[in-house]
Amino acid sequence: MSFRDIGMKIQAAREEKGLSQEQLARLVGCSQSALSNYEKGKRRLYLSQLEKMAEVLDKPLEYFVDSLSSSHPPQPTSSDRDERFVKLVNLLGRLSDEEINEVMRYIEYLEWKRSGGS
Amino acid sequence: MDFSLTKKQQELIESVKSMAAQEITPFALQEEGIHREKMLISLARMNLLCPTVPKEFGGLGLDLFSTALVVEELAAVSPGLAAIVAATLHAAEPIILAGNEQQKKEFLPLLTGAQAGAAAFALTEPEGGSDLNIISTQAAADHNGYLLNGCKDYVINAGIARFITVVAATDMFKKKASLRIFLVPHHAAGVKIEEIYHTSGINLAPVGRIRFADVNIVGEHVIKSREAGSGYLLLTQTFDVGRALVSALAVGIARAALEEALNFAENRLQSGVPIKKHQAVSFALADMATRIEMARLMTWKACWLIDRGGDYSVASAMAKLASSTIAQEVTCLAADIMGARGYIKGTLIEQLVRDARVLSTIEGTNHIQRMVISSQL
Repeated sequence: MSFRDIGMKIQAAREEKGLSQEQLARLVGCSQSALSNYEKGKRRLYLSQLEKMAEVLDKPLEYFVDSLSSSHPPQPTSSDRDERFVKLVNLLGRLSDEEINEVMRYIEYLEWKRSGGS
Repeated sequence: MDFSLTKKQQELIESVKSMAAQEITPFALQEEGIHREKMLISLARMNLLCPTVPKEFGGLGLDLFSTALVVEELAAVSPGLAAIVAATLHAAEPIILAGNEQQKKEFLPLLTGAQAGAAAFALTEPEGGSDLNIISTQAAADHNGYLLNGCKDYVINAGIARFITVVAATDMFKKKASLRIFLVPHHAAGVKIEEIYHTSGINLAPVGRIRFADVNIVGEHVIKSREAGSGYLLLTQTFDVGRALVSALAVGIARAALEEALNFAENRLQSGVPIKKHQAVSFALADMATRIEMARLMTWKACWLIDRGGDYSVASAMAKLASSTIAQEVTCLAADIMGARGYIKGTLIEQLVRDARVLSTIEGTNHIQRMVISSQL
């Protein structure tokens, strides 16, 4: 679950900072049991609360929510191919359904050509 | 624990009832939206289109509990009108919660005062529904802000909204983690209402599909524009608040059905006595009243927690799950009591049965509510 992922990141950042649950809870103004539930993903965390934690734990907000990414992005290499792939996917997201169909037809044509056109 | 309403809340309810009796009830069964404009003007005159807007931005500054009381009253006379208000509240909530001063000044006054209009919240998509893992509406960063492309479906208040609060991904790999909330003026170039549906219920509220094609969004219209990753958390919070209001809407529908069935049962004679005197009918009415009370108390508790800044996610999901189910049961029981009369097009009960049907779908389906609840057990 999404909130479990965020909770694990909170726990990791708290431990990295050398804080106990009780200490972090006091710093962000919640109870220790609430913090424990946040870390287990058993209680929903809202933006203002996570902003406070991010500040205390010296992490950008993105550090916690990046774990929500459902897909597996390509490994961050500097290869030109990966960069072009990312750009291509972003461009595809801006196309209409009909335009995407056209792109698919063109890809099918390229595959057909590669296979010798048979 | 005190369950009594304050004098101010009682006066608020009375004023809504009085306005509704004169300006909404007479037209409530004329579903096709012909009278929508007039009803919205009536609401605007009382500043009730978005009662949670803080006073400094022209609103009433009501807490959620009092707002839920208003929504119940409106739903009891016109569920479609209450849905317009609930959708407007949902669209405004991210701004109230996390918008900056400039965003509040620019957008919230559009929903307040005598000239107030509605707003829309756009999340659901034609392909992936409300699954944020496969959201396809994309906002690509450009030099001036973002370029928004995509399609949103089943948007309540499509076509009448002054602005649309749109959820989009800013990174198609990160999807959910990259969500942001964009405020899109209805007249922005590239915004197109593709279709307004003929819905089964809540007919006063227009529900439609909106296409966004290369819509330029300036950075000032992005909520928490500098904080990457804020969108998802803000979105879940907005839904947790919205669910409590849908719960209030359900209570209003169920209450209207009970009042209609009770009135019928007191006047319809069978074997020389009103059918209310027959145990089968009186027990059904007792069950209906009990369930409505349960739904109302759950709604009140969720709103009370929200107003106190408590842990309200589960309470809100439970309230929505229970109230929407109860509203569907109660409207059907009321139709049963009224027999064939409850099946005639153009009667209140027939309309309420159709109106209640949408409640298990909007603001997250009831299966989603169960997932929210079970994940926190």
